[in-house]
Amino acid sequence: MSVEMSELKDSVRRVMVDSGLDASADSIWSQIVDLGWLMVSVPEELGGLGAGVEGACAMHLELGRGLCKAPYMPAMLTLDAICQSELASKEEWLERIFGGEFISVALAQSDVRNFENGLGGTLSGVLSADSASHLLVWTNDLEHVVLVKMDQPGIELVAKDTWDETRKLFDVQISDLALNNQVSLATGPVAAKLVQRLQGQADLALAADALGGASALLEQTVEHLQTRVQFKRPLAMFQALKHRCADMKANIVAAQAMLFDSISTMQEGALVAKANKMLSCDVFADTAEDCLQLHGGIGMADEHPCHLFLKRSLLNVHLSGKSDSYASEIGSRLISLAK
Amino acid sequence: MSQTNNTESLRKEVRNWLEANVPKDWRTAMTNVEQDKFVQLQRDWFVKLSKAGYATPHWPEGWHGGGRSLAEQKVIFEEVARADAPRLIMYFVALYHAACTLFECGSEQQREKYLDGILNGKIWCQGFSEPNAGSDLASLRTKAERKGDHYVINGQKIWSTMAQYADYCLLLARSDNSGPPQAGLTYLLLDMKAPGVSVRPISQITGDDEFAEIFFDDVKVPVENLVGEEGKGWAVAQATLASERGLTLVELTQRMRYALPMLVKSMEENGLKEDPVLIRDLGRLSVDVDAACALADQYLLKRISGEEQVGDASIVKLYYAKVLRAFSSLGMKIGGLNGQYNAGFMCGATQETGNWTLDFMNSYNWSIAGGSNEVQRNIISERMLGMPREPKSWQLGE
Repeated sequence: MSVEMSELKDSVRRVMVDSGLDASADSIWSQIVDLGWLMVSVPEELGGLGAGVEGACAMHLELGRGLCKAPYMPAMLTLDAICQSELASKEEWLERIFGGEFISVALAQSDVRNFENGLGGTLSGVLSADSASHLLVWTNDLEHVVLVKMDQPGIELVAKDTWDETRKLFDVQISDLALNNQVSLATGPVAAKLVQRLQGQADLALAADALGGASALLEQTVEHLQTRVQFKRPLAMFQALKHRCADMKANIVAAQAMLFDSISTMQEGALVAKANKMLSCDVFADTAEDCLQLHGGIGMADEHPCHLFLKRSLLNVHLSGKSDSYASEIGSRLISLAK
Repeated sequence: MSQTNNTESLRKEVRNWLEANVPKDWRTAMTNVEQDKFVQLQRDWFVKLSKAGYATPHWPEGWHGGGRSLAEQKVIFEEVARADAPRLIMYFVALYHAACTLFECGSEQQREKYLDGILNGKIWCQGFSEPNAGSDLASLRTKAERKGDHYVINGQKIWSTMAQYADYCLLLARSDNSGPPQAGLTYLLLDMKAPGVSVRPISQITGDDEFAEIFFDDVKVPVENLVGEEGKGWAVAQATLASERGLTLVELTQRMRYALPMLVKSMEENGLKEDPVLIRDLGRLSVDVDAACALADQYLLKRISGEEQVGDASIVKLYYAKVLRAFSSLGMKIGGLNGQYNAGFMCGATQETGNWTLDFMNSYNWSIAGGSNEVQRNIISERMLGMPREPKSWQLGE
């Protein structure tokens, strides 16, 4: 990682700690915009920092530590797609986004078809759709990737009451949207490649977010065990509890080693991203499950942040692809390779 | 760029050499054979590898095979794993523990005297653990008493790998009882052929007798065999234990990765290649194996660049032990009832033989030896996470 990037990472951590877990999505978003965090992965020739996937993941990790409520992740994904697209007016769009305009994308299901009378279908897992100017949409046949303006007839938002309080999810219903009236990012084979890249980037982003959350939560849990005294000694002195913390630490460090190894060796391919998403999100969910237990009663209190980590970890597991299907895909691939 | 070219040409060179020289079908040759045949195969393979310079890439410059860059060392270990060459389990202590201890803490004379011997096939064992000093190593009681120009050794060691074949022993003994337990330990190089040394192999749950007990009855060790200072053996022992991490774990994790197709083969043999649950298990395991590989690589890089922190090694060992257990467990699951039949004992078995119940039992080597999982968890929680130690003293009847 470059010196510049690692300094940025440190400053992100400071900003997130200073803001605190209670900071609103809007206030975090304006920091993100003002401090130029959206420029991290944009190539230098397009006015960004050129820190690539590694830079993006470092950012997601830090923002995951602070349970970032602002939709940084979908913003980064759509920015990357614009940079990779066939769009003629890239610079203009980048300028708008660097200035705070937000474009969202579905992080769960996407079922949009190109019917005779226009685009129609449903998207789910769309983060902060209510504050987005546009939505990145692709057709099921992967022939078209477009930016769809939110404020137009044929777009309907359904807010979901998500358990994870740190993120706002929406379903978006699309009907009879004329394809020609939307901003085209790519068509044909380029579109298919763009979607595949976007899914890989989403998997890596979620993995990094999960590892940030898991690390921060483990630190807070150890701190809790250090201060809470029962049986005339700090809970942190009990080996039964220490060993659980040690296992969690080992799992987090291993998943992180794999994530940054995958990125630095530039291993292309969706399976590597899927492997990371599965491992890291499972590690976060397992860590959060046990950390709540280690907190005891206070972990069940709404005022304590422990549950915020747990709920975010549970949602992460269900965004993008699911662990079980990823595991099956990776297993099948091994079997076909062994022939 | 040129460095990548260099390592790539080294890779080609090593790969070609291994293709021509790895004993053909050694797995079959080593199944159900007498111990002396096994010893012969290990010795032959070691000498071959050592002559080619591939057994000691981790040794410093100036020593045969040594002075390789980290990247080159990694290439050699990856290729050895890829070629499925026999693991040099009889020489492990000599190549790592003995050599690294001598490089780090030994005297010039000791290095001159013993290192060439290692290259020529001298076998070393480690005399640390005792019946009452396992995880609590510092409580060991084997006595080293200074008498003139000798130390006189009395006591017993246990779990010494390959001690029955060893020429020399790395001995940790107590020379002083007065201070705290760590303070009175002395590190010595002991000749296993010396009068008063007796060895009793321990028959293991696998049917093998890889470990032995060593008994010392007034064994004389010349003073020049002292490593470091008298009473400062604990620090030397830490150097010994640290040497088995790093590269070793790079090799072992890579071997595990190359062994994944064995699980697929086993699924095929048992008619389970389409089993969706096993396919999923296999996918999950392979991701854990990848993580273990990445972790070992990262640790090695940290070690070489001097960024290693207390507890890093414990994490690698703990994680590898976990994944290794999971690997053989999945093997047993795939093997079903067939996996419960002994497919023949393989001498000098690597961790992954496809004899799944054997592999499962052998996986305990990594969760118990060299600091058990529990000790590693103490190190991680206390020294990395800063959690307090448990109160020290405890009296019977309290």
